[in-house]
Amino acid sequence: MSDEVRAEETAGGAIELRNLSKDFDGFVAVDAIDLRIRGGEFFSLLGPSGCGKTTTLRLVAGFERPSAGAVLIDGADLSQVPAHRRNVNTVFQSYALFPHLDVLENVAYGLRWQRLSKADARRRATEALDLVQLGELASRRPPQLSGGQQQRVALARALVLRPAVLLLDEPLGALDAKIRKQLRIELKALQEEVGITFLFVTHDQEEALSMSDRIGVMNEGRIDQIGTPQDVYETPTTVFVADFLGVANLMSVEAVSSDAGGCELRVGDFRLRACSGDTSARGEAKVVVRPERVEIRAHDGTPPPNCLPGMVDRTIYVGSNLHVVIRLATGALVQASIANTGSVSAYSQGDPVLVHLPDDALRLLTGDGDDAARRTEAVAEDPGGAAR
Amino acid sequence: MTSVGLPARRPPETALSRAAAWIRNPWGRPRFLAAATWLYLAWALLPVLAAILFSFNDGRSRSVWQGFSIRWWWGDPTFSVFHDPTLTHALTHSLELAVLDMAIATPLGVILALGLARWRGRGSGTANFLMLVPLVTPELAMAVALLLVFTQLSIVPFALVNLGTTAQVIGQVTFSLSYVVVIVRSRLASIGPEYEEAARDLGASPRQALRTVLVPLLFPAILASMLICFALSIDDFVVTQYMSSDAGTTTIPMYLYANARGGSTTPAINALATILVLVTLIGVGAAFAILRSFGRRTEARDTTEAVSGLAALEA
Repeated sequence: MSDEVRAEETAGGAIELRNLSKDFDGFVAVDAIDLRIRGGEFFSLLGPSGCGKTTTLRLVAGFERPSAGAVLIDGADLSQVPAHRRNVNTVFQSYALFPHLDVLENVAYGLRWQRLSKADARRRATEALDLVQLGELASRRPPQLSGGQQQRVALARALVLRPAVLLLDEPLGALDAKIRKQLRIELKALQEEVGITFLFVTHDQEEALSMSDRIGVMNEGRIDQIGTPQDVYETPTTVFVADFLGVANLMSVEAVSSDAGGCELRVGDFRLRACSGDTSARGEAKVVVRPERVEIRAHDGTPPPNCLPGMVDRTIYVGSNLHVVIRLATGALVQASIANTGSVSAYSQGDPVLVHLPDDALRLLTGDGDDAARRTEAVAEDPGGAAR
Repeated sequence: MTSVGLPARRPPETALSRAAAWIRNPWGRPRFLAAATWLYLAWALLPVLAAILFSFNDGRSRSVWQGFSIRWWWGDPTFSVFHDPTLTHALTHSLELAVLDMAIATPLGVILALGLARWRGRGSGTANFLMLVPLVTPELAMAVALLLVFTQLSIVPFALVNLGTTAQVIGQVTFSLSYVVVIVRSRLASIGPEYEEAARDLGASPRQALRTVLVPLLFPAILASMLICFALSIDDFVVTQYMSSDAGTTTIPMYLYANARGGSTTPAINALATILVLVTLIGVGAAFAILRSFGRRTEARDTTEAVSGLAALEA
């Protein structure tokens, strides 16, 4: 690792989790996690409910004590430091705004313990409220605010203390879709403006993809893959990551041979060529292709390579796209996503079609390997690497 | 021509069939249940209302109405509650015990509730169970146990206490604690750990978080506990009776018990009983009202359910 990278990782809110584990009465919630987050980065922990992401967040905040391993911020080990002395603040899923204080007093609460004069505290709290565009609501009480407004007050309350790291525990979960989309943009803009490290926990992959600099996909207490949104979506290293992020058309195949560019697969009576993923593998494996890369062609003439015949099972109209579910001749179900460009493409149940799976869109996965995850992290760190 | 779909002839409507339809109507109000409830309420409350009514009787009789007067309350210079020293003393001693019980049991109970709620690990199950034992122990058993402990046991702290006001206060606090713990714990459960965690996250030490965030949120439960302790103490008979020493430690319930069947009593005793009922009602009613007006709807509902359950237990 270069010195440049090392310096970036020990300044301005860099988080390091070293072999971090937490178990509750035998149930392992967090299983030996190693993670390095750079200062000023917007990092998301993405995973299904119960995968340990909230526990990891609480370990960083100081509400839980690790069973093993350490939490370091800017190089300092925080294992013995209680929550109220860490330079880390949290935005809770339910906001936890104090109902017996008004909005300004809520935001100024943390400043009470910093021995500021009343006037200074008031001034800084007002500034924080202006930062989240809630200046006029300073004297309201939390129950009188809408969900989006409460969330902003919670943000202001945490940011006014100028922490090194801000932890966000699914803060957009309780809001409706339109406000959520708007707040995603605002949160990202806020993070860029303030420059603090954000550690964001969510189960919504669209949120994670749209806001993060890097994503860590968690599954059952371990991190399966770390990478940029593009890495994680387009080049997943495990079946779980492929399946969790968007729709994954997974097919069981047998890898037969490989050459310079890719490898040859056998699925049923058909042959496919894949250029992405673990192309040197042999034997049973899974292959994944994203629905937007699946092409539907008419059944005519000689089919080009990487085409499989099939029949339309059903179509799902979601406004911006048309999802066409096709049952292939091999028995597998594949979903194709066609953008709604206004031209009528009528597919009805039972239509025979030809499904073209481009070879660079087919990615071969040989299961959930730890080396695969480490390889991805190494690639992300190495600015010159380009392995795909 | 065949007859198709002609409606069958309806049977003639008699008074009996109309009454049957009215009773069987599925959209009608539950009349039978309502009637049963009102009957029960009347059965339970009418005697109390009658007793209250007779406290305003003009003559000495407690069963024959002789006109309206407030002589037994403060009119009569010898026998009214205000003037008769025995009655007045019973009233003031009751109030004294109630205030002491309220002032001691509430802070202790709140601390106990907080401790029990945060206790993780061995012994917490046992401690929680023990906390509820005074609620289900028959009061007579508890009173006799306390009597034996204070009169027979020569171990130091117990030997120092003689029967009398101190013993009465200790006895009342012992069972009031359980009620306070139940009320405060249910409120604590509905508050949840998030506010304190948020406070600690923002820089408050655990003690500061308790003081500035948790206690203000607990305020309605604390106030309600105080009022419940007051009502319980004023009402209490068994423990107070057993812990009493002489005439100076008589309370309203004790006086009523000793004199209610005697021949030489006046409606002043009814007046005393009315005071008892009124104070208890106001105490419990105020506790309800406070819990309902503070806090979110669900929290108020949980705690008022706890309080009403307790009031029912005590009644």
